[in-house]
Amino acid sequence: MVRVEAGKASEYHTDFVDAFKEAGTSRSLSDMAASESTVDTSDMIVCRDVHKWYGNFHALRGVTTSVREREVVVVVGPSGSGKSTFIRTINRLEEHQRGDIIVDGIELSNDVRNIDAIRRDVGMVFQSFNLFPHLTAMDNITLAPMKVRKLPARQAEEIAEQLLERVGIAEQADKYPGQLSGGQQQRVAIARALAMQPKIMLFDEPTSALDPEMIKEVLDVMRELAVSGMTMIVVSHEIGFTREVADRVLMFDHGQIIEESATEEFFDNPKEDRTKLFLSQILA
Amino acid sequence: MASATGTPPGVSLPPPITERGGVGWAYANLFGNWYNTVLTFLYAAFLVLAFWFGLRWIALEADWQVIATLGGRLIIGQYNTEFACPGQNCFWRPQVSLLLVSVLLGMVWAVSRDTAAKRIAIGVAAVTVAFAFLPYSMDRMGLDVRLLLAANLPAVAAGRVLARYTPLGTVRWIAILGVLVFLVILVLVRGLPGIPGLQPVSTTYWGGLMLNLLLAVTGITLSLPIGIALALGRRSSLPLVKLLCVVFIEIMRGMPLITLLFMSQVLVPLAFPQDFSSNSLFRAGVILTLFSSAYMAENIRGGLQALHPGQVEAARALGLAGWQTTLLISLPQAIRNVIPAIVGQFISLFKDTLLVYIIGMLDVVEFSRAFIQGNAEYLASARELFLFLALVFWIFTYTMSYVSRRVEQHLRVGQR
Repeated sequence: MVRVEAGKASEYHTDFVDAFKEAGTSRSLSDMAASESTVDTSDMIVCRDVHKWYGNFHALRGVTTSVREREVVVVVGPSGSGKSTFIRTINRLEEHQRGDIIVDGIELSNDVRNIDAIRRDVGMVFQSFNLFPHLTAMDNITLAPMKVRKLPARQAEEIAEQLLERVGIAEQADKYPGQLSGGQQQRVAIARALAMQPKIMLFDEPTSALDPEMIKEVLDVMRELAVSGMTMIVVSHEIGFTREVADRVLMFDHGQIIEESATEEFFDNPKEDRTKLFLSQILA
Repeated sequence: MASATGTPPGVSLPPPITERGGVGWAYANLFGNWYNTVLTFLYAAFLVLAFWFGLRWIALEADWQVIATLGGRLIIGQYNTEFACPGQNCFWRPQVSLLLVSVLLGMVWAVSRDTAAKRIAIGVAAVTVAFAFLPYSMDRMGLDVRLLLAANLPAVAAGRVLARYTPLGTVRWIAILGVLVFLVILVLVRGLPGIPGLQPVSTTYWGGLMLNLLLAVTGITLSLPIGIALALGRRSSLPLVKLLCVVFIEIMRGMPLITLLFMSQVLVPLAFPQDFSSNSLFRAGVILTLFSSAYMAENIRGGLQALHPGQVEAARALGLAGWQTTLLISLPQAIRNVIPAIVGQFISLFKDTLLVYIIGMLDVVEFSRAFIQGNAEYLASARELFLFLALVFWIFTYTMSYVSRRVEQHLRVGQR
C-alpha cells in the first residue's frame, strides 16, 4: 500500500523538479554557503547547545541535535515544553540567544542574507494555517515563487497547479481561504510551502486545529511527502502517523530534549520515566 | 414547535409564519401585542404629520429664490467677480474643470464592475445638465455657461468611450489621469500669467463649493499615504522614527483644528518657502492634510494591530522581505479591515473644510452667510439657503459612504 503511494509520489516529485529546472532556477544555497564552515554534508540541520529566553523565562535550555537529509523527525512533549519554539528557531521566526544552528551548511546569525537564504529553503506549515485571506488559493501559492524566486507568473501558476493536484484540491484553486474547509486550507498551506521547493519542511502541530474527519486528508499529504524523500521536522501527537513515517522521535520537556531515539525504540522501550508517563497519557 | 415524534430524517419543515412574507413580518414587528400596536399608530401619525407640514413648507411656504439668485456663486464664490477676474468671464475655467471630472467619471464607469460608478456618473451628468436649464440672475451667465454645463453629459459618454476603445481603460491609467486632471484643474483655475484668457486669479478669491471640494480632494488623496507612512513609522523598531511619528500624531490629534488653522500663519512658514506660506489656500490645505493624516494613521494602525501575527510569520517563513510582507500582506488586509473608519475620516475631513472661514476664506457656507448678512432682503431666506447647503453636503457625504459600502462588499467576497 505504502509502496504504491511512494511510486506515485516520486513521479509527482520528478514532474515538479522538472518544472523548476525549466524555469532555470537551480537551488544554489550550498553554493552560497561555500564560504561558511563546512559541516558533514549528510546533516541538514545541526543544533548545538541552543538557548532561548522570553524575558526571564528560559524556554530552550541547551538543545543539541541534528537531522540528516531525507530524515523525518517527530517532536513530542507536553504543552509549554519548548517544542514549537524549537522548530521556530530553525527558520528564525524565534531568535535564539546562545548556541549554534546550522541549516544546510549556513549558520543562522543576525546576517539578514543568511536568514533570507535559509527561509527560502525551509518551508513551514502552521497549526492555524496562516493562509493569506485576501488572496485566492492559487495566489497564496504563487506569491512567494513570484516575489522571492522571481519566477514568471505562468511558471509559478504551472507549479501551483501541479502542487494543488498533488495535495488533491486542484478544483479549489480560485477559492479564497475563507471558502475552504480546515483540511483544505492546511493542504493549500502545505502546497504554498512546497512551491518554494524547500529542502526542509517544518510542521508545527499541523493537525491540532482540525476536525477529526479532516486530519486524515492532511496526514495523507504529509505521509506522501515523507516517502518522497523530504527532510521533515514535525511537531505532532499523531501516534499512528509518527509510528508509520518517523525515523526518529524527540521528547521535549522543560525546554530540553530528554529522550531521543529511533521510532520503534521510543514507543516500545522508552527509557525516561517522564516519557513513559507522557506516552501512557497520549496512548490512553 | 417540533412534534413529539420529531422530524423524519432528510425532511425540512417550512419556517414559522413570522419568518415568511410581509404579513408575517408586520404581525411580528408592528402589531405583536397591544403596546406595539399603539406605538405603531402613534408613530404612523407622527410621520404623516411631519411629511404633511414638511412638504407643505417646501412646496408652498419656502422661498427658494435665494438659491436661484446665488446660482453659480455657490459653486465658485467670488471667482468670477469683477475684482477677481477683471474684464473677462472666467466662469468657463471651473466649468471645464468639471467637464474633465465628468470624463474621468465616465472612464471609471466603463472600468468598474459595480453599478455605483454608473449611478454616480449619470447622477453628476443629470444634475449639471438640469442646472443648465435653471433661471440664473446674478452672474454673467449666458448661453456659453449653459452649454458648458450641458456638455457634462457628452463628457461622461466621451470618458466611457475613451476607456472602452483605447488602452487608457485600465485602473492604472485612470489613476494617472486622475492625478494629471487634478493638476490641470489647479493650473486652469489659478491661471497662467501672459496667456490670454488664462489671466491669473488670486487664490484669495477662490471660494464656494469649489474650494471645499479642492481642499477635500487634496486632503483625502494625500492624508491616506501620509497616514500609512505614519502608522508604519509608529510601529517601527527604530526608536527615533517611532518617537517622531508618535509626537507628530499626538500633537495633531491633541489640538483643535481651529487652533491649528489659526496657528498655520506661524507654523507653516517654518517648513515652506515664503511664496507658498503666505497663501491662505496653501496653508489651509497643508493643515487639513496633516490633521487628517494623524487620525488616518491611527485608523490604519488599528487595522495593523488587529492582524493575526501568524500572517507576518507565514510571509516571513516563505522568504518574503520585510517591506514585501508589509506591502503585500499586512497593509492590504489592514486597510480593508478599517475601510469604514477611513471613509469616516474622509467624510469628517470634507465637513472640516468649512472651517477655513477661520483664516478668511469664503467657502460655500461662509460665502452664503456673508451674502445673507450683506443683502437684507434675503435675511428671511437664510433657512432655505442653509437647508439647501445641508442637502448638498449630505449628498456628497452619503455618496462617499455608499461607495465605501460597495467597496467593502466587493472585498469581502473571499472572507465569508
